[in-house]
Amino acid sequence: METQKIDMFMMMNAKFFESYHLNAVREKLLTIDESKWGMVQTLQLKDPTTALIISIVGGGSLGIDRFFIGDTGMGIGKLLTCGGLGIWTIIDWFLIMGATREKNMEMFQNALY
Amino acid sequence: MSRNKLYWLFLIACFLGFIYLLYHLQDSKNSTFGVCIIKNITGIPCPSCGTTRAVKLLFQGNVLDSLQMNPFGILVTLIMTIVPFWISFDLIFKKDTFHKSYIQIEKTIRIKWLAVILIVLVLFNWIWNIYKQI
Repeated sequence: METQKIDMFMMMNAKFFESYHLNAVREKLLTIDESKWGMVQTLQLKDPTTALIISIVGGGSLGIDRFFIGDTGMGIGKLLTCGGLGIWTIIDWFLIMGATREKNMEMFQNALY
Repeated sequence: MSRNKLYWLFLIACFLGFIYLLYHLQDSKNSTFGVCIIKNITGIPCPSCGTTRAVKLLFQGNVLDSLQMNPFGILVTLIMTIVPFWISFDLIFKKDTFHKSYIQIEKTIRIKWLAVILIVLVLFNWIWNIYKQI
């Protein structure tokens, strides 16, 4: 694909991935052909900040933050245990942004590999 | 999520759950102490408040009382008793049946109509909890 398009994509979407993912994302985008550009652009990447807001504002102890990023199993775990007896809720205030970025990378890989 | 990470997470979660349950079984007098953030802050019970008491009732053989306390109790008991054996089986025989089932269940639950039904059930349970003043 054209480098210009890829650079634009990287600029727009850098915040959705961990910094150590960015190189792999860029390399992958360079190898795929033009026909997949539409698919790359329409990926529903989740915003880490939104996940953090959900986690802090009260969705944390019901597992809504985990459901939001597509981690359904962990979400059910949090829901059934009152947010891991309150401990998991607090831990997730710090982990949820990273977890969102990991999930985004997973989604990116599932779509293109 | 990778297989090993998932397995250790589940094992640790079940282990902590059993420790908490043992602690709860030992001092039954201290029943006003709650760990739920929502209940402590707002005073309104959350959908899963009362699960520990439901599990305790289930272990004492009062299935109906347990269901009335919180239906989540039976679900949690099932998960906490089956999962450790399933994971040990997988770890010993070096298979990944639990990992595959976990991914499959996640996929199934994400089907729209099923998700809507489950959310409605949880909300209904929440309303019931508030009504019961757990």
